[in-house]
Amino acid sequence: MRPSFLKKKPVQNEEMSLQITSMADIFIIILVFLLKSYSTGAINLTPAKGMLIPEANAAGAAVEALKLEVSETAIQIEGQPIANLEQFRFKANDLQGNGTSKALTAALEKERKRQLLIAKSNSEVKVDPKIIVVADKRAPYSTVKAVLASAAVNSYTDFKLAVIKGD
Amino acid sequence: MNISSPSSNSQDFELNLASIIDCLTVLITFLLASASFISIGILDAGVAAAGVEASSVKPPPVNVAIEIKKDKSFRVKVTGKESRTVTVDGNKEQLQKELQAIKGRWSSLNAVTVLADSDIEYQDVVQTMEAARKVLPAVLLGGF
Repeated sequence: MRPSFLKKKPVQNEEMSLQITSMADIFIIILVFLLKSYSTGAINLTPAKGMLIPEANAAGAAVEALKLEVSETAIQIEGQPIANLEQFRFKANDLQGNGTSKALTAALEKERKRQLLIAKSNSEVKVDPKIIVVADKRAPYSTVKAVLASAAVNSYTDFKLAVIKGD
Repeated sequence: MNISSPSSNSQDFELNLASIIDCLTVLITFLLASASFISIGILDAGVAAAGVEASSVKPPPVNVAIEIKKDKSFRVKVTGKESRTVTVDGNKEQLQKELQAIKGRWSSLNAVTVLADSDIEYQDVVQTMEAARKVLPAVLLGGF
Protein backbone atom coordinates (compact mmCIF):
# COMPACT_ATOMS: atom_id res chain seq x y z
CA MET A 1 0.00 0.00 0.00
CA ARG A 2 1.39 3.38 -0.99
CA PRO A 3 1.55 6.08 1.68
CA SER A 4 -1.03 8.79 1.35
CA PHE A 5 1.48 11.63 1.11
CA LEU A 6 2.58 10.37 -2.23
CA LYS A 7 -0.85 10.90 -3.62
CA LYS A 8 -1.00 13.48 -6.31
CA LYS A 9 -2.30 16.78 -5.00
CA PRO A 10 -5.30 18.26 -6.78
CA VAL A 11 -4.41 21.06 -9.13
CA GLN A 12 -5.22 24.40 -7.49
CA ASN A 13 -6.81 27.15 -9.42
CA GLU A 14 -4.23 29.92 -9.87
CA GLU A 15 -6.88 32.63 -10.16
CA MET A 16 -8.08 33.16 -6.62
CA SER A 17 -10.56 35.95 -6.10
CA LEU A 18 -10.89 37.42 -2.65
CA GLN A 19 -14.43 37.96 -1.44
CA ILE A 20 -14.23 41.57 -0.26
CA THR A 21 -17.91 42.51 -0.21
CA SER A 22 -18.25 41.76 3.51
CA MET A 23 -15.02 43.65 4.18
CA ALA A 24 -16.42 46.69 2.38
CA ASP A 25 -19.56 46.42 4.55
CA ILE A 26 -17.46 46.44 7.72
CA PHE A 27 -15.41 49.39 6.50
CA ILE A 28 -18.55 51.38 5.71
CA ILE A 29 -19.94 50.72 9.22
CA ILE A 30 -16.64 51.86 10.80
CA LEU A 31 -16.62 54.93 8.56
CA VAL A 32 -20.18 55.89 9.49
CA PHE A 33 -19.38 55.47 13.21
CA LEU A 34 -16.24 57.60 12.94
CA LEU A 35 -17.98 60.30 10.94
CA LYS A 36 -20.76 60.41 13.54
CA SER A 37 -18.33 60.77 16.44
CA TYR A 38 -16.07 63.20 14.61
CA SER A 39 -16.22 66.47 16.44
CA THR A 40 -15.76 69.64 14.46
CA GLY A 41 -15.95 72.09 17.36
CA ALA A 42 -13.96 75.29 17.35
CA ILE A 43 -12.18 74.43 20.60
CA ASN A 44 -8.78 72.93 20.16
CA LEU A 45 -7.64 71.86 23.62
CA THR A 46 -4.74 69.65 24.50
CA PRO A 47 -4.73 69.35 28.30
CA ALA A 48 -1.50 68.44 30.10
CA LYS A 49 -0.76 64.80 30.82
CA GLY A 50 -2.46 63.51 33.96
CA MET A 51 -4.93 66.35 34.05
CA LEU A 52 -8.52 65.52 35.01
CA ILE A 53 -11.10 67.87 33.58
CA PRO A 54 -14.44 68.04 35.45
CA GLU A 55 -17.55 66.54 33.88
CA ALA A 56 -20.76 68.45 33.26
CA ASN A 57 -23.62 68.61 30.80
CA ALA A 58 -22.53 71.83 29.20
CA ALA A 59 -24.53 73.27 26.35
CA GLY A 60 -22.41 76.37 25.75
CA ALA A 61 -21.28 77.08 22.21
CA ALA A 62 -17.64 76.47 21.35
CA VAL A 63 -15.62 79.66 21.25
CA GLU A 64 -12.12 80.72 20.45
CA ALA A 65 -10.43 82.70 23.23
CA LEU A 66 -7.32 82.90 25.36
CA LYS A 67 -6.69 79.52 26.99
CA LEU A 68 -5.61 79.33 30.60
CA GLU A 69 -4.74 75.94 32.06
CA VAL A 70 -4.52 75.06 35.77
CA SER A 71 -2.73 71.77 36.41
CA GLU A 72 -1.17 70.25 39.53
CA THR A 73 2.21 71.90 39.02
CA ALA A 74 1.74 74.96 36.84
CA ILE A 75 -0.45 77.61 35.32
CA GLN A 76 -0.15 77.88 31.56
CA ILE A 77 -1.41 80.47 29.11
CA GLU A 78 -1.67 79.19 25.54
CA GLY A 79 0.69 76.35 26.49
CA GLN A 80 3.35 78.65 27.96
CA PRO A 81 4.14 78.05 31.67
CA ILE A 82 3.48 81.21 33.67
CA ALA A 83 3.48 80.30 37.36
CA ASN A 84 4.48 77.24 39.35
CA LEU A 85 2.06 75.52 41.69
CA GLU A 86 2.69 73.12 44.54
CA GLN A 87 -0.07 70.54 44.87
CA PHE A 88 -2.48 72.83 42.98
CA ARG A 89 -1.63 75.77 45.25
CA PHE A 90 0.16 79.03 44.52
CA LYS A 91 3.41 79.72 46.35
CA ALA A 92 2.87 82.13 49.22
CA ASN A 93 5.26 84.73 47.75
CA ASP A 94 3.31 84.75 44.46
CA LEU A 95 -0.01 85.75 46.03
CA GLN A 96 -0.88 89.40 46.49
CA GLY A 97 -3.11 91.08 49.04
CA ASN A 98 -6.10 91.25 46.68
CA GLY A 99 -5.98 87.48 46.15
CA THR A 100 -4.38 87.59 42.71
CA SER A 101 -1.17 85.96 41.53
CA LYS A 102 1.73 88.27 40.68
CA ALA A 103 3.08 86.18 37.80
CA LEU A 104 -0.33 85.42 36.34
CA THR A 105 -1.53 89.03 36.57
CA ALA A 106 1.64 90.22 34.82
CA ALA A 107 1.21 87.63 32.04
CA LEU A 108 -2.47 88.45 31.54
CA GLU A 109 -1.69 92.16 31.54
CA LYS A 110 0.83 91.55 28.77
CA GLU A 111 -1.77 89.62 26.77
CA ARG A 112 -4.34 92.35 27.31
CA LYS A 113 -1.88 95.05 26.17
CA ARG A 114 -1.13 93.03 23.06
CA GLN A 115 -4.86 92.76 22.33
CA LEU A 116 -5.33 96.49 22.87
CA LEU A 117 -2.46 97.26 20.53
CA ILE A 118 -3.98 95.07 17.81
CA ALA A 119 -7.43 96.61 18.39
CA LYS A 120 -5.92 100.09 18.11
CA SER A 121 -4.40 99.45 14.71
CA ASN A 122 -7.26 97.30 13.39
CA SER A 123 -10.79 98.56 14.00
CA GLU A 124 -12.28 95.15 13.14
CA VAL A 125 -10.57 93.55 16.13
CA LYS A 126 -12.36 94.05 19.42
CA VAL A 127 -10.96 93.59 22.90
CA ASP A 128 -12.27 90.23 24.04
CA PRO A 129 -13.39 89.66 27.66
CA LYS A 130 -13.62 85.89 27.08
CA ILE A 131 -11.13 83.47 28.60
CA ILE A 132 -11.25 79.66 28.49
CA VAL A 133 -10.28 78.17 31.85
CA VAL A 134 -9.16 74.55 31.74
CA ALA A 135 -8.68 73.51 35.36
CA ASP A 136 -8.06 70.16 36.99
CA LYS A 137 -11.10 68.93 38.89
CA ARG A 138 -8.98 68.35 42.02
CA ALA A 139 -7.86 71.98 42.18
CA PRO A 140 -9.06 73.75 45.33
CA TYR A 141 -11.40 76.70 44.91
CA SER A 142 -8.77 79.01 46.48
CA THR A 143 -6.51 78.44 43.46
CA VAL A 144 -9.37 78.78 40.96
CA LYS A 145 -10.45 81.93 42.78
CA ALA A 146 -6.95 83.44 42.53
CA VAL A 147 -6.84 82.58 38.81
CA LEU A 148 -10.26 84.12 38.16
CA ALA A 149 -9.40 87.21 40.22
CA SER A 150 -6.15 87.66 38.24
CA ALA A 151 -8.14 87.41 35.02
CA ALA A 152 -10.90 89.74 36.24
CA VAL A 153 -8.47 92.55 37.15
CA ASN A 154 -7.29 92.45 33.54
CA SER A 155 -10.89 92.71 32.23
CA TYR A 156 -11.23 89.02 31.38
CA THR A 157 -14.65 88.66 32.96
CA ASP A 158 -16.44 86.25 30.64
CA PHE A 159 -15.20 82.90 31.92
CA LYS A 160 -15.64 79.84 29.76
CA LEU A 161 -15.01 76.80 31.92
CA ALA A 162 -13.89 73.79 29.90
CA VAL A 163 -15.62 70.58 30.96
CA ILE A 164 -16.00 67.09 29.58
CA LYS A 165 -19.51 66.62 28.30
CA GLY A 166 -21.26 64.07 30.48
CA ASP A 167 -23.56 62.59 27.84
CA MET B 1 -15.45 47.66 -13.20
CA ASN B 2 -15.76 44.53 -15.26
CA ILE B 3 -18.88 44.71 -17.31
CA SER B 4 -19.75 41.86 -19.58
CA SER B 5 -19.77 42.52 -23.29
CA PRO B 6 -22.57 44.89 -24.28
CA SER B 7 -23.57 42.66 -27.15
CA SER B 8 -24.83 40.01 -24.77
CA ASN B 9 -27.02 42.55 -22.87
CA SER B 10 -26.42 40.57 -19.72
CA GLN B 11 -27.38 42.08 -16.36
CA ASP B 12 -24.61 40.21 -14.55
CA PHE B 13 -21.58 42.27 -13.81
CA GLU B 14 -18.93 42.20 -11.11
CA LEU B 15 -18.12 45.40 -9.25
CA ASN B 16 -14.43 45.87 -8.54
CA LEU B 17 -14.42 46.76 -4.86
CA ALA B 18 -10.65 46.96 -4.46
CA SER B 19 -10.44 50.69 -5.26
CA ILE B 20 -13.42 51.45 -2.99
CA ILE B 21 -11.71 49.55 -0.17
CA ASP B 22 -8.58 51.63 -0.77
CA CYS B 23 -10.58 54.87 -0.40
CA LEU B 24 -12.33 53.59 2.74
CA THR B 25 -9.02 52.54 4.30
CA VAL B 26 -7.54 56.00 3.72
CA LEU B 27 -10.66 57.71 5.13
CA ILE B 28 -10.79 55.46 8.20
CA THR B 29 -7.08 55.97 8.91
CA PHE B 30 -7.50 59.76 8.64
CA LEU B 31 -10.57 59.78 10.89
CA LEU B 32 -8.95 57.51 13.48
CA ALA B 33 -5.87 59.71 13.58
CA SER B 34 -7.82 62.94 13.97
CA ALA B 35 -10.76 61.76 16.07
CA SER B 36 -11.12 62.96 19.64
CA PHE B 37 -13.07 60.54 21.73
CA ILE B 38 -13.70 63.01 24.54
CA SER B 39 -16.01 65.86 23.83
CA ILE B 40 -15.10 69.16 25.48
CA GLY B 41 -17.92 71.49 26.37
CA ILE B 42 -18.06 75.03 27.71
CA LEU B 43 -19.74 76.12 30.91
CA ASP B 44 -20.44 79.85 30.93
CA ALA B 45 -19.66 81.73 34.10
CA GLY B 46 -19.54 85.40 34.89
CA VAL B 47 -17.82 87.17 37.70
CA ALA B 48 -19.72 88.61 40.63
CA ALA B 49 -17.67 91.77 40.90
CA ALA B 50 -17.94 95.40 39.93
CA GLY B 51 -17.65 96.06 36.21
CA VAL B 52 -15.83 98.89 34.45
CA GLU B 53 -19.07 100.67 33.58
CA ALA B 54 -22.32 100.84 35.49
CA SER B 55 -24.97 98.57 33.99
CA SER B 56 -28.17 100.17 32.76
CA VAL B 57 -30.14 96.96 33.37
CA LYS B 58 -32.60 97.13 36.26
CA PRO B 59 -31.20 95.12 39.17
CA PRO B 60 -33.22 92.08 40.27
CA PRO B 61 -35.45 92.43 43.37
CA VAL B 62 -33.44 89.76 45.19
CA ASN B 63 -29.92 88.39 44.99
CA VAL B 64 -29.33 84.69 45.50
CA ALA B 65 -25.98 83.24 46.57
CA ILE B 66 -25.12 79.58 47.04
CA GLU B 67 -22.26 78.95 49.44
CA ILE B 68 -20.62 75.52 49.33
CA LYS B 69 -19.42 74.70 52.81
CA LYS B 70 -16.53 72.45 53.87
CA ASP B 71 -18.90 69.56 54.60
CA LYS B 72 -20.27 70.02 51.03
CA SER B 73 -23.60 71.30 52.28
CA PHE B 74 -25.12 74.36 50.62
CA ARG B 75 -26.20 77.61 52.21
CA VAL B 76 -28.68 79.45 50.02
CA LYS B 77 -28.67 83.11 50.95
CA VAL B 78 -31.38 85.44 49.64
CA THR B 79 -30.84 89.17 50.07
CA GLY B 80 -32.73 92.25 48.87
CA LYS B 81 -36.52 92.46 49.11
CA GLU B 82 -36.51 89.03 50.76
CA SER B 83 -33.97 88.14 53.36
CA ARG B 84 -33.50 84.54 54.40
CA THR B 85 -30.88 81.82 54.62
CA VAL B 86 -31.56 78.13 54.04
CA THR B 87 -29.12 75.29 54.61
CA VAL B 88 -29.38 72.31 52.27
CA ASP B 89 -27.39 69.12 52.76
CA GLY B 90 -25.21 67.97 49.84
CA ASN B 91 -28.25 66.90 47.81
CA LYS B 92 -28.30 68.78 44.48
CA GLU B 93 -31.96 67.95 43.78
CA GLN B 94 -32.92 69.54 47.09
CA LEU B 95 -30.86 72.59 46.11
CA GLN B 96 -32.71 72.81 42.80
CA LYS B 97 -36.06 72.57 44.59
CA GLU B 98 -35.03 75.41 46.87
CA LEU B 99 -33.95 77.55 43.90
CA GLN B 100 -37.20 76.74 42.09
CA ALA B 101 -39.15 77.92 45.13
CA ILE B 102 -37.24 81.22 45.10
CA LYS B 103 -37.71 81.54 41.34
CA GLY B 104 -41.45 80.91 41.86
CA ARG B 105 -41.63 83.87 44.23
CA TRP B 106 -39.43 86.16 42.11
CA SER B 107 -40.04 85.35 38.44
CA SER B 108 -37.71 88.08 37.13
CA LEU B 109 -34.77 86.46 38.91
CA ASN B 110 -32.38 84.69 36.54
CA ALA B 111 -28.94 84.89 38.14
CA VAL B 112 -27.24 83.15 41.01
CA THR B 113 -23.81 83.58 42.56
CA VAL B 114 -21.82 80.52 43.57
CA LEU B 115 -19.27 80.83 46.36
CA ALA B 116 -17.20 78.10 47.95
CA ASP B 117 -14.84 77.51 50.84
CA SER B 118 -11.16 77.56 49.89
CA ASP B 119 -10.68 73.79 50.19
CA ILE B 120 -13.68 72.82 48.07
CA GLU B 121 -12.60 71.05 44.89
CA TYR B 122 -13.28 72.63 41.51
CA GLN B 123 -15.34 69.58 40.48
CA ASP B 124 -17.86 70.31 43.27
CA VAL B 125 -18.09 73.94 42.18
CA VAL B 126 -18.73 72.92 38.56
CA GLN B 127 -21.38 70.40 39.59
CA THR B 128 -23.13 72.99 41.77
CA MET B 129 -23.04 75.48 38.88
CA GLU B 130 -24.53 72.84 36.60
CA ALA B 131 -27.34 72.12 39.07
CA ALA B 132 -28.07 75.83 39.57
CA ARG B 133 -28.06 76.54 35.81
CA LYS B 134 -31.05 74.26 35.34
CA VAL B 135 -33.16 76.70 37.37
CA LEU B 136 -31.34 80.03 37.03
CA PRO B 137 -29.49 80.27 33.70
CA ALA B 138 -26.93 82.96 34.63
CA VAL B 139 -24.33 81.65 37.06
CA LEU B 140 -21.70 83.95 38.51
CA LEU B 141 -18.65 82.95 40.48
CA GLY B 142 -17.97 84.95 43.58
CA GLY B 143 -15.88 85.08 46.69
CA PHE B 144 -13.10 87.31 45.40
